[in-house]
Amino acid sequence: MLETLSNLGLGFSVALSPPILMYAFVGCLVGTLVGVLPGVGPLAGISLLLPATFGLDATRAIVMLAGIYYGAMYGGSTTSILMRIPGEAASVMTCIDGYAMARKGRAGAALAIAAVGSYIAGTASVVGLMLLAPPLADFALRFGPPEHLALLLLGLLVLAYMSSGSMLKSLAMAAFGLLLGMVGIDQMSGYFRFAYGVVELGDGLGVVPVAVGLFGVAEILATAGQPTAPKVIKPRLRELLPSRQEWRESIAPIGRGTVLGFLVGILPGSAHIISSFVSYAVEKRVSRHPEQFGHGAVAGVAGPESANNAATSGAMVPMLALGVPSGPIPAVMLAAMMVHGVSPGPLLIQQQPALFWGFIASMYVGNVVLLVLNLPLVGLFVNILRVPYPYLYPAILVFSILGVYAVNGSVVDVWIMLLMGVLGWVLRKLDFETAPIVLGVVLAPLIELSMRQSLAMSDGSYMIFLTRPIAVVLLAVGAVLVLMNLYTFLGRRLDWRARLAMAEKGEEAP
Amino acid sequence: MRHRGLVALAVVVALSLPLVAAAQEPYPSRPITLVAPFPPGGVADLTARPVAAAMEKVLKNPVGVVNKTGAAGAVGMQFVATSKPDGYTLLLALSSISIIPEADKIFDRQPAFTVDQFAPIALISADPTILVVRAESPWKTAKEFIEDAKKRPGQISYSSSGIYGTLHMAMELLSHAAGIKLRHIPAAGAGPALTAILGGHVDALASGPAVVLPHIKSGKLRALAGWGDKRVAALPEVPTFRELGYPEAEFYIWAGLFAPKGTPEPVLAKLREATRAAVAEPEFKAAMDKLETPIVFKQGQEFQQFFDADARRLAAGVRKVGRVEDKK
Repeated sequence: MLETLSNLGLGFSVALSPPILMYAFVGCLVGTLVGVLPGVGPLAGISLLLPATFGLDATRAIVMLAGIYYGAMYGGSTTSILMRIPGEAASVMTCIDGYAMARKGRAGAALAIAAVGSYIAGTASVVGLMLLAPPLADFALRFGPPEHLALLLLGLLVLAYMSSGSMLKSLAMAAFGLLLGMVGIDQMSGYFRFAYGVVELGDGLGVVPVAVGLFGVAEILATAGQPTAPKVIKPRLRELLPSRQEWRESIAPIGRGTVLGFLVGILPGSAHIISSFVSYAVEKRVSRHPEQFGHGAVAGVAGPESANNAATSGAMVPMLALGVPSGPIPAVMLAAMMVHGVSPGPLLIQQQPALFWGFIASMYVGNVVLLVLNLPLVGLFVNILRVPYPYLYPAILVFSILGVYAVNGSVVDVWIMLLMGVLGWVLRKLDFETAPIVLGVVLAPLIELSMRQSLAMSDGSYMIFLTRPIAVVLLAVGAVLVLMNLYTFLGRRLDWRARLAMAEKGEEAP
Repeated sequence: MRHRGLVALAVVVALSLPLVAAAQEPYPSRPITLVAPFPPGGVADLTARPVAAAMEKVLKNPVGVVNKTGAAGAVGMQFVATSKPDGYTLLLALSSISIIPEADKIFDRQPAFTVDQFAPIALISADPTILVVRAESPWKTAKEFIEDAKKRPGQISYSSSGIYGTLHMAMELLSHAAGIKLRHIPAAGAGPALTAILGGHVDALASGPAVVLPHIKSGKLRALAGWGDKRVAALPEVPTFRELGYPEAEFYIWAGLFAPKGTPEPVLAKLREATRAAVAEPEFKAAMDKLETPIVFKQGQEFQQFFDADARRLAAGVRKVGRVEDKK
């Protein structure tokens, strides 16, 4: 412990030196912008900036790139809350309750809660990263394909809590999302599936164009389709800050989101996206007022936004402790280290103490910078809502197209986004929810790969899922959850979902 | 944000300029685009950047790297294959340039591009893969590994960067040469493939040396043999498969510079000359040194021979793998 403190002292002496401080600030600023722009996420931001870091030394480069990563998680909530457009894929869940809060005139409160939640999650998870990195990294390695599959199946159960309307409809949407996730090269055999000769479809339908289309473009179409433009919500200054009540409602979700996000973040895959989905489901499950979800529940903003921030620190655990990437973003950061002749690996912490501890300390500093940067911006961003829709929406559409194009430089992605926008609009008219589609698109390729890898490992025997302890535990948890729901169903006890549906029809629940 | 803007601007400029065709001016008179068909941070990108910087210095003309990614490199390669052959759009390709068209053939697909759509300029680097196993595994030498694999066909597993990917092909060439059968567990990229062996979910992995060296040093992995024609400098005690009597198990993760077929000979000559000067630049050497990637420079006939031999081995490897489903 004492050693950790003295190491941290070394770290802060590095992190607070003016050049490192400056690069951390630049990273956070760019990250916030990248997060705010619809479509452009942290991966695109880091990729674009990577060449610019080649001239810096390793510590500066890595501090700046990390700043972009967690900075984007702060910025991502902004457009989700204000306009129902996910600034990056991990903010999809924030679109639902964040936007609902904004429609009620609580945009400022939602933004402030997202920023503070992100700050708490960011800082707390750096503590976790600092103290637990080596043991946690070893644990993460034990997650092979079968463990992954078990975890992802658990992720699918999240669905049950994602919709506030018809269960059948949200299951249909999830199935549709899973089917969309099948497009692309089959990882196990090399077949091009559903690509129809379009080489770009080999990589499948990206989460970003699908999410921005289903949420953002669909929202714009829906608004434009109304006979009269919706009234512009003019925020008042004293309404910018969350009320005492809203703070109280957000504390527990922030705490849960932090722990959950950090743990999910350590595991390989698109952790920051999945963590926000899981957090939303958990909040809805434990909430005493699940019926508020979808209509502006504070917990629906606080939980996922904290989770996606904590997940970014979690993702650094395998990267720093073992030198293996837990996803595409840490992979780019590893490359940045290699360019500077720092070989990432299990010996990094001993061989490069200044880099490791400087990096850790810079994340503490960076989170403070982001909070200071974001809270005053709340006032500014909220004023975007004052812009009349005929001017605001075309501008957003332009930014969305630019953003989605910028990610891969692919026109195909832009078409996917526009088609998804039309589809999302039709589905809204028919009263389908679109978040399960995004969940399906995120999970399908991961589920398929881990399942088929598992079966390749066992030469086709399904027993592999029942002979590995971690997988068994996860599957058992899933089974218990399903049984609990089944019990409610069979006992003919109406849960909140049915009560809500009846209340909407004007009937009393029995 | 300044850099971002600059990068974006450079991309826009670089992409739009080839449209303004200039017939008579001396080459090069406008910015050259070097396409890296893989995302930033990958081998192709990390090689392309110092190459571009050094060529820029030699040619006294801007050379910008553009990452055109997708479908395991096929998107970027197809883009260059169909670009105007004027020397302003070049490709930095990896070994997979010979694999992708063969894989397309296996599936009776219209190939995204063919190898003869490119004019080779120069080979920049060639890094032999090495065979690693976990430190606690029973095999101390490549010989023990191969003998055990012969006794238990299809039981020893390995991970790779993906089906028909470079790391998969290296292992296939070995299986072919040694007459063994291993179990393939493809992963989604070289990073996850490394994670799989570190976590003990597979037994073996063929990998570029730089990536696994830290894990060999820390005692988690053991190197058994290399696919190169000589031993890896950082691992002098590790033999090559050639030494062990498997000359067909030769494989490199190489990076080479290509232009679209039909590029005028004077332009190609100029590019060859520029590349030769570029790889001799001290900055370029320093950059490749940090990546622990050996510079192997070949041009003209020499590169053509290397390329042909490599393509022949890989094509045979891909055909041997065939369609995965058809085997069961």
